Amino acid sequence: MTVTPFLSIKNLTVKFGGLTAVNDFSMDVMPGSIHALIGPNGAGKSTVFNCISRYYQPVSGDILFQGTSLMQTPAHGTAIRGIARTFQNLELFNGISVVENVMVGLDAALKRDGKRLSPRQMRLEAEAILERTGLADYRNEQADALDFGHQKLLELSRALAVRPKLLLLDEPAAGLRNREIAALDRLLVDLVRKEGLTVILVEHVMQLVMSISDGITVLSFGQKIAEGLPAEVRQNQQVIEAYLGREGGAAA
Amino acid sequence: MPITLPAKLGSLAVALIALIVLPHLTTGYVVYLANLMLIYIILALGLNILIGETGQFGLAHVAFYGIGIYTTAILAGRFDVPFPVAIVAGMLLAGAIGFLLGAVSFRMRDIYLALSTFAFGEAMQWVFKSWDDVTNGPNGMRIPQASMFGFRITNDHDAYYIVLAVTIVVVLATVALMRSRLGRAFRAVRESEPAALALGVNVRLTKVIAFTLSAVYAGLAGGVYASFSSFIHPDSLGFTTTILVLTMIVVGGLGSIAGAIMGALILGLIQELLRQAPSYQEIIYGVILILFMMYAPKGVAGAIKARFGRSAAK
Ligand SMILES: Nc1ncnc2c1ncn2[C@@H]1O[C@H](COP(=O)(O)OP(=O)(O)O)[C@@H](O)[C@H]1O
Ligand SMILES: [Mg+2]
Repeated sequence: MTVTPFLSIKNLTVKFGGLTAVNDFSMDVMPGSIHALIGPNGAGKSTVFNCISRYYQPVSGDILFQGTSLMQTPAHGTAIRGIARTFQNLELFNGISVVENVMVGLDAALKRDGKRLSPRQMRLEAEAILERTGLADYRNEQADALDFGHQKLLELSRALAVRPKLLLLDEPAAGLRNREIAALDRLLVDLVRKEGLTVILVEHVMQLVMSISDGITVLSFGQKIAEGLPAEVRQNQQVIEAYLGREGGAAA
Repeated sequence: MPITLPAKLGSLAVALIALIVLPHLTTGYVVYLANLMLIYIILALGLNILIGETGQFGLAHVAFYGIGIYTTAILAGRFDVPFPVAIVAGMLLAGAIGFLLGAVSFRMRDIYLALSTFAFGEAMQWVFKSWDDVTNGPNGMRIPQASMFGFRITNDHDAYYIVLAVTIVVVLATVALMRSRLGRAFRAVRESEPAALALGVNVRLTKVIAFTLSAVYAGLAGGVYASFSSFIHPDSLGFTTTILVLTMIVVGGLGSIAGAIMGALILGLIQELLRQAPSYQEIIYGVILILFMMYAPKGVAGAIKARFGRSAAK
């Protein structure tokens, strides 16, 4: 018996002018799994995310989400279909409060469900999410008053508010302290194992990737160079050369 | 020291009573000024939706104000359309043209958007000045005396309560709008388009709605102005007036309703003081605008918030 992939990327190619950022890339992500997408800087990981969220238009290839192509979905339609994301370089709503950032995420979930909440209920729901990500104390701060690590957590909170089926996390652990990374690890495991979320994780913090991923795909210069279980990928000679071998410099 | 809720409600009540008794305590000139200030508040709230909340530098606000004035005056004066209906028609026409302007310029941003909407504003003033058959051209146009809901508006006193009521409704509607999903979408578009898209906000549609609403506010302000004013001259519908309203929302604090109101009052007074020196108006607004953008980008509302804690101004 085969399980249909939750997300299936087929022969994706993305070009920027003369540069081929992603080249004939394919990847399947199983439902209810945490799938890591790793590779050196500039490998094309964020570009893949931008294609899934329909922000970039690939020159060729297809992306199937729950068996249907995303290529007809506009960028503002992906959240409604159940996809949420965070951004590597932070795209917070800086000038508004932490809790209102999360409320914009809630708006997407409510729009999908065709529901409305009173401003008071909205606030309570948003605060419950901030409680979970450890940002409750900062709820009334302006978003850009948080430090980098907390801003990353706020991006995660805002994405969770969408109540997505598929969550794309672009380097969520960057800027977090060890204790915060451990909390993030527990939160992600919780979301996936208990709530059935599917996560694609782009991350340089190998300790996190290796401990929670069900599968790993490795990109280098826009090409897939390896794929498999964490233990397999760790042993792969090509991966060690392209990426893990330069571990020290890779976290940049 | 944060301002408590009872203190807030108390001062609101005092302000409301003061506004209600105002015409009984003062002369016609003060009431005329009060009417004008209320119009400025509606104008400023409208421009704040587009620039302050959504971050789109549309600079054609006065064109929609003019559309509201002329539409109301022409419908009521030549076609005997009841004033309230004429005002609504002016709002709708302004909104429709605002929608078109937003729809053709949604791809532009920053300086390009500012320049093209500026050009549109100039073109509209040219239309007001040159379309003799309809607007009576550069000589300006008489506006007929209004009568609304059975009573005639013969002077500023008669108009005051209607203008006040409309303004209060507009302020309350704006507060509700800014707390709604659409209000959050406006701010999401202003702060980050990629994130707004990823969170299901139709960025293009949201910008067009902001343009449309902002024009509807200006059209309403124009229609209400026409209800108590007896004359409109196209010279008053030029870029200086758009800059005046822009300065109001910058001085008050972009993205703040309380700020737009305070800015309208402050700049309204300054404008009145400068009435004897019209040639200095533009330069003085310009200097105020630049000084605030450089040294107090969050305006008066931001300063109050910083001083009294976050409950003070929103
Ligand atoms: N919007 C863009 N315009 C031009 N080049 C881009 C753009 N986005 C990404 N690239 C280029 O595509 C390549 C892959 O980038 P990216 O996907 O960000 O890599 P990664 O996330 O793996 O570090 C890089 O060479 C980058 O410079
Ligand atoms: Mg990246």
